[in-house]
Amino acid sequence: MPEWKRSVQRREFLKWCAAAGAGALLNACGQRLPETPAALPPTGQPQPPNENTQPTEIAESQAPTTAPAAGQPNLAVARGESPDAITRAAVAALGGMERFVQPGAQVVIKPNICTDYYSYEYAATTNPTVVAALVSLALAAGAKRVRVMDLPFGGSAESAYVRSGIADAVQAAGGEMALMNPNKYVQTPIPNGRDLKEWPIYNDILEADVLINVPIAKHHGNAGLTLGCKNLMGTVLNRGQFHRNLHQRIADLNSRVRPTLTVIDAVRILMNNGPTGGNLNDVQMTNTVIASPDIISADSYAATLFGRHGEDVDYIRFGAEMGLGVIDLNAIKIEEINA
Amino acid sequence: MNPADWRRLRRISQAFFLILFLGLSILTNARGQAAPGAAPFFRLDPLLGLAALLAGRTWIAPAFLFLVTIFITLLFGRSWCGWFCPLGTLLEWIAPRMTRGKSVGRLEKWRLGKHLVWMAALGGALLGSSFYTFLDPLTMLNRAVASALFPALRHAVLHSEAWLYRFPLLWDALDAAHQAVIVPLFGSTPRYFDAALPVFLLLAGVISLNWITERFWCRYLCPLGGLLGMLSKFALLRREVEPDACTACARCSRGCPTATIDPEDNFRSDPAECIVCLDCMADCPTGAVKFRWQIPGWKPATWKDYDPSRRAALGALAAAAGTAALAGIDPVRQHPSANLVRPPGASLASIESLCVRCGECVRVCPTQGLQPSLFESGWHTLFTPRLVPRMGFCSYQCNACGQVCPSGAIPPLELAVKQSTPLGLARIDSDRCLPWAYNTPCAVCEEACPLPDKAIKVEEVQAVNAQGMEVTLQRPHVVREQCIGCGVCENRCPLDGEAAVRVYSILT
Repeated sequence: MPEWKRSVQRREFLKWCAAAGAGALLNACGQRLPETPAALPPTGQPQPPNENTQPTEIAESQAPTTAPAAGQPNLAVARGESPDAITRAAVAALGGMERFVQPGAQVVIKPNICTDYYSYEYAATTNPTVVAALVSLALAAGAKRVRVMDLPFGGSAESAYVRSGIADAVQAAGGEMALMNPNKYVQTPIPNGRDLKEWPIYNDILEADVLINVPIAKHHGNAGLTLGCKNLMGTVLNRGQFHRNLHQRIADLNSRVRPTLTVIDAVRILMNNGPTGGNLNDVQMTNTVIASPDIISADSYAATLFGRHGEDVDYIRFGAEMGLGVIDLNAIKIEEINA
Repeated sequence: MNPADWRRLRRISQAFFLILFLGLSILTNARGQAAPGAAPFFRLDPLLGLAALLAGRTWIAPAFLFLVTIFITLLFGRSWCGWFCPLGTLLEWIAPRMTRGKSVGRLEKWRLGKHLVWMAALGGALLGSSFYTFLDPLTMLNRAVASALFPALRHAVLHSEAWLYRFPLLWDALDAAHQAVIVPLFGSTPRYFDAALPVFLLLAGVISLNWITERFWCRYLCPLGGLLGMLSKFALLRREVEPDACTACARCSRGCPTATIDPEDNFRSDPAECIVCLDCMADCPTGAVKFRWQIPGWKPATWKDYDPSRRAALGALAAAAGTAALAGIDPVRQHPSANLVRPPGASLASIESLCVRCGECVRVCPTQGLQPSLFESGWHTLFTPRLVPRMGFCSYQCNACGQVCPSGAIPPLELAVKQSTPLGLARIDSDRCLPWAYNTPCAVCEEACPLPDKAIKVEEVQAVNAQGMEVTLQRPHVVREQCIGCGVCENRCPLDGEAAVRVYSILT
């Protein structure tokens, strides 16, 4: 037997394996791009806004999930000093949370927690009291589990959850703050998308029995305004790529992710330098909460707080054209409450 | 207490400080303000303290904590190495058994090495550069943990987790573990380090020297050990062997981790080499080994052959002068690297003189954008911090790096001051930027800008894209007066590879 064969023993072999493994680990620490997958899902060519496109017919399952019962309003607007009271009043006017949340339901609440830059007084993130009120209402309606989640683009979720004040409020109300896990995005077909045909969407949002969308109404440099439809961008990966055809892609995403209820926090609204804010002079107290099962109606109404119309904001208009909801506020029943 | 109890007490002390040091380093990694600084460890270190004071030519009141160590050393000798130093403890624990107490005769004269390093370090500091502090044992360990070992462990855990997520049945259990253990321990911030390999190899090299002989680093190379050893020549507590009780069984010399007990010289030892581990006292079957106060009859310990001669000391100072002179002609002074962004408030001057390369800022940075530099700013600022925005940006609500810096190389700026202190200036690369170069809509940089009035503004233009369609574009512009160079724009730019908006250094 040659000399070298006897000299390689198991112990030594294992040592070399360990050394090689350690090397591989270190190698992984070397410089790389940030942890976003670089590959783009196939999306086809970006399309320009096209006003003449006919509304796409959408499948029954993708229409607003909860049709109003006779006499119930399509949209409720509550105004008052207490964010908690107006949130509860707006939901009550739609028939109460029991209309949306069945006992035993898995509920996911999606606020806007876009960054960890500022606290909620700066109107860049959703009002914690509004979110907490929805958590309590959902639990009172018999929800089995209420999870609150968002994926910030500036700073980590851990720090943004705390800075926004939402973590404390939600935990006090009995809900869970869930961290969105990069391993749980699922490449999801978007059959009615005009530009997006598939995209990685968060599994727990797709699987939830009830999705409550709780944006804050605010200015957005790129999109004009960020409201309900835009807030759902927090449910996908590769958001940077959305901007290449932002409005159509938001509408496309909305054809797949359909919230049961949209509650727009307009307690404070950000009039300029959005979506991140930071200047209290840009914040306006409007003491309003808008709620509707129809995300397009809710956004269309919220646009009026900024002196605009739903038709002025492309993603709302595209959503209406695709049959995702009613943009014409004269065509729906609106209940206004002072609470 | 009997001798065996002393040994036990020492091991408890070692374990306590090692766990405290690693615990601080690991549990609070990337936590920004929430991270308790390990500054007291570094401030207790006389080599770092003296280097910063000499090179910075400033009065740093908290740095004088190292006087405590000097005082203890003058009382008890080099007990820092045997009782406290986390690297010393690691070296003691990761020692192959066969080298225990092994004296390497031909290496004896190399005990001089550690003295040369500390003299060069302090000599360099006198001339304004704290370059050699990267060889300090605390900085070496902290750097390796913060920018190589812990990130590598995190990578291993997260990749194992990702693999398990292939099985949807496990998701509920994995979610619970992710939320309760993995994120609290490892955070959700990605960690990538350019310097991971060199930083790791330096520590690995020091540890692997243990295979030549136990505590090789402490005996021959450690500048802090050398400095404290020099002080220990004057210590009040010293090891003695009672000749009447000694049976010359040589258990003490065989077990001595620094092999300073000389069987040829009645088992006497050199206080400069003795780390007061007390193993010899515990091992002695006849109780002949004692540690005694030298109050009456104190005199400095004998100078050994391996101790620095005047010529050696002059050589070390000449090396220091040479180092400083070579550092002086580094082109970085005339032509700083365009991409070199320093932590908030730090300048080349403050980094060069005050930075002790401890890696604390790198450790706490919540985005892990701060990295130990290699040669980006010249070799003489090796392992000093720089911000790599593509890895992580300077978080608008964070000023932790300046708070944890033990020497003030990064000034402890108030948050409001930090928020208006420019680190650099963003620049749009209009040859790559989507709306500029390709008539494709994008405004992610503007969206992410944290400034209350936005340091990136967009200009709306109509253009025709490559498909011949009319599109509305928002082309970004940097507002020079507003931009603080935090780098979030560069970090978020959705282009693959290099960003189309980059932070460039500004001359300070």
